[in-house]
Amino acid sequence: MGELVIHRVEKKYLNHNGNPSKNPSFQLYPMNLSIQEGEFFGIIGPSGCGKTTFLKCIAGLILPDSGNVLLGKKNLTYVPPEKRPFSMVFQQPLLFPHLKVIDNVSFGLKMQGINKKVRFDKAKDMLQAVGLSGYELRHPYELSGGQQQRVSLARAIIMNPKVLFLDEPFSALDPDLRQEMRELVKQLHQTFKVTVLMVTHDREEAFQLADRLAIMHEGKLLQVGTPKNCYEKPDHIKVAQFLGSKNMIEGVVSKNKFIGKYFEVSLGYNLMNKTKGWLIIRPELFKRMCPNDLNQTVNNVHIQSFTGRIKEVSYRSGFVHYKVDIKGQSLYVIETNQSDLPLVNDQVTLQLNIKKLHFIPQ
Amino acid sequence: MNMWQKGNPYLYVLPAVFFMIIFFFGGILQGVLQSLGVSIFHDDAQFTFKAYQELAQSIDFWQSLSLTFKIAFLSTLLSALLGMIIAFILFIISLKAYNTNRFPFLYRIFQYPLVIPHLAAGYLFLLLLMQSGWLSRISFQLGWIEEIYQFPILVNDTFGWGIILTYTWKEAPFITLMVYPVLLRVHKSWYEVARLYGSNMIKFLKNVAFPLVLPAWLSSIFIVFAFTFSAFEIPYLLGVTYPQLLPVYSFELFMHGGWEERSQSLALNIILAFITGILGIISYLLSKRWLSSERRGWE
Amino acid sequence: MGIRLKNVGWKFLMILFLILFSFPIIPLIITSFSAGWRWPEILPDQFSLRAWNYVFSPYAGTWEAIGNSIFIAITVTFVNILLCLPAANVIARMNFKGKILIEGILYAPLIIPPFITVMGIHLTFIYLGFTESLIGVMIAHIAPTLPYMLRALIISYQTIGLQWEEQASMLGAGKFNRLRFILLPHILPGIVAGSSLTILVSLSQYLITFLIGGGHVVTLPIILFPFISGGDIGIGSAYMIIFSGLALLSLWTMNTLLKRYYKARITFIG
Repeated sequence: MGELVIHRVEKKYLNHNGNPSKNPSFQLYPMNLSIQEGEFFGIIGPSGCGKTTFLKCIAGLILPDSGNVLLGKKNLTYVPPEKRPFSMVFQQPLLFPHLKVIDNVSFGLKMQGINKKVRFDKAKDMLQAVGLSGYELRHPYELSGGQQQRVSLARAIIMNPKVLFLDEPFSALDPDLRQEMRELVKQLHQTFKVTVLMVTHDREEAFQLADRLAIMHEGKLLQVGTPKNCYEKPDHIKVAQFLGSKNMIEGVVSKNKFIGKYFEVSLGYNLMNKTKGWLIIRPELFKRMCPNDLNQTVNNVHIQSFTGRIKEVSYRSGFVHYKVDIKGQSLYVIETNQSDLPLVNDQVTLQLNIKKLHFIPQ
Repeated sequence: MNMWQKGNPYLYVLPAVFFMIIFFFGGILQGVLQSLGVSIFHDDAQFTFKAYQELAQSIDFWQSLSLTFKIAFLSTLLSALLGMIIAFILFIISLKAYNTNRFPFLYRIFQYPLVIPHLAAGYLFLLLLMQSGWLSRISFQLGWIEEIYQFPILVNDTFGWGIILTYTWKEAPFITLMVYPVLLRVHKSWYEVARLYGSNMIKFLKNVAFPLVLPAWLSSIFIVFAFTFSAFEIPYLLGVTYPQLLPVYSFELFMHGGWEERSQSLALNIILAFITGILGIISYLLSKRWLSSERRGWE
Repeated sequence: MGIRLKNVGWKFLMILFLILFSFPIIPLIITSFSAGWRWPEILPDQFSLRAWNYVFSPYAGTWEAIGNSIFIAITVTFVNILLCLPAANVIARMNFKGKILIEGILYAPLIIPPFITVMGIHLTFIYLGFTESLIGVMIAHIAPTLPYMLRALIISYQTIGLQWEEQASMLGAGKFNRLRFILLPHILPGIVAGSSLTILVSLSQYLITFLIGGGHVVTLPIILFPFISGGDIGIGSAYMIIFSGLALLSLWTMNTLLKRYYKARITFIG
């Protein structure tokens, strides 16, 4: 069938008084994206960034102002949502309350005119796949929130969709349940080999599930790539912020050297002089030196050392987080717990491989 | 966010709006034209304000107008007060009740006068209040009167007591219906908090509950006034032959007169439509204020 | 304890009001069963079924009048449903320019008495042959009843968000299927409530039926009117009991249907 291609999809939203020209209350800038068959693709961004609107534009629930949605060679832009080979699971389970579980699951097949026996058999298999065998004759109100969302998943996947959309599907669930559901979704993705497009504001969820990510902010796609790439090499300061970078230092590059207000470091690669931007230092890049190691000379030219004073320490299941003050620059460090916990006000020496630093030009 | 398949909302309202414009506003417009002497069914008709001039010069009209106004005013006043009192008593009972049945049996019973058709309500009061009616018989048994003619004339009387009492009986429950659900927004816990701060029931009702229901109350008062000002059935049954209330006067002109009287009747109708329309707009504006204050976080 | 006693006081007051409000119904019932009830007897010497016998005798035409009333009411209800279903849908769930004006147009008959418009349109109806006919009376009954249907449906529609239809369309349900499987089951209570109000209001119409029907379309209010305006008060009372009973019956039917519906605990949340 081929890939899902979104080409220059754009949407302006009227404000509530219905006047489109003056300050549209919301806008999707032209969006380009292509999603491979069988891929698990995540769109993440803070709430209000337009990711749900974007998803609905692709699903056909909202007609974009311009642009095209293509699946393989087929243009779906003007196909109504019920005729598109897509399914969607919303944030709420939205199980039809007047229908039993099995009728809910087989609703889509009923719409396709498939006979009762066939669709009930399929629905039973599907319920088994989501771990709800035996719940066929219950009403939605008799199920817990997590069970309802499982039924909702079954109802979407039974359609054998070319693309399955997940719109923040677990955000209404308890944290424990959320983890369980993520695993279920991952497993269903592999079993049914369905292309998944998920929208979420939860970056852990996206990192855990997605093969590739798109980071969205105020109606724009800032970066598309693998989770590793997005995290380690953010293209945009907003991406770094959203993905939880701890050390973002504003400054200028001068002669292969980054110069911040309090902090300077050589860069492992060339950049144009006078480029303004941000230096991103991932907290796990630092290596704390034991006092014994201090006298050893460092042979690697890419390793630089910094000395500072520890400000705050917190221990979090296997990892130590602490802040170090280096000549007025506060840096956040995460390391796996070694035998000796650092203490506040201790002097520490940190080593840094400057090849792994990332600079975002302004 | 709406589904684009929804399409044009105007298309959805079109059938209903089309019907209303043709058959409701169309009727009013034809009334306006005919009251001005214009009609497609009369070739000799010509544009004139004669009907309105004649009305303005007729003593019957002015007497009728003042009587209608008086009766509508008194009916509205009585039902507004009575309806409000009932709503507050129901509210006090619900505040003090241990179980939290917010719409008690009593409240439902009070809605029954709303269901009784106006014609039936008029007849009930006719049987109750006429000189040979039940109240008169009870008065005799209690020794208050000795002869039938000693009982005051309360129906088909020139003051309009029968009409006023019937309207009060019928419309007070309407006021209660409009006011009581709004009162229920006052949480029981607020009353408890108010008591902690030393407020008694009267202060609580005055400072918390009353301001809350005021817009809803006023809005429904305007509806009741518009209704009692323009309804036909009850005054037709319980009124006197002279002076008649405006709707009855209009009906008589319409049924028993020629083309000229018909124009006057329609002119009268237009005046009625204008007055009730204005009252409706006032009521809407008041209820809008009530809704917007509701949005400001009463829930 | 003190509070409890006080509450009894309030309840007593309430019951007093209740008696006051139900008081006028007593003479109606007595009159319908009375025979030669002379002043100043509080209760008549003799009770008789004379009035009731007359009302249900073949030559009184009561059944035909009830049948006409109900037929008109039900037809009007169907037309109202057809007119209001689409209108209520968008008024309840969308914002668009001129919505307030449109609501004003549709709710206008609540405040402007319908006889005004009927008198204005009378000549046109004569010209079109709608007077003295059922169809004319039905058309005349739509305007005063439509606002009630519209209101009931709007309230129903407001409680179902667009996301349910979105979900259904993602499952392949087209426009018709969404209406049939999602919207209709949800707004059924609204349809029931609106229908019962429409029937109630339509049954109660006297003047506009008289103006358009000209006495040829015999509904219950038309047949009973001569008896209550200076006619036989016994028969008038019996008719009034039937008349009010019919109104109460339509309300009661609605309550029963709604209760049964809500017992199935069908609610759309979210």
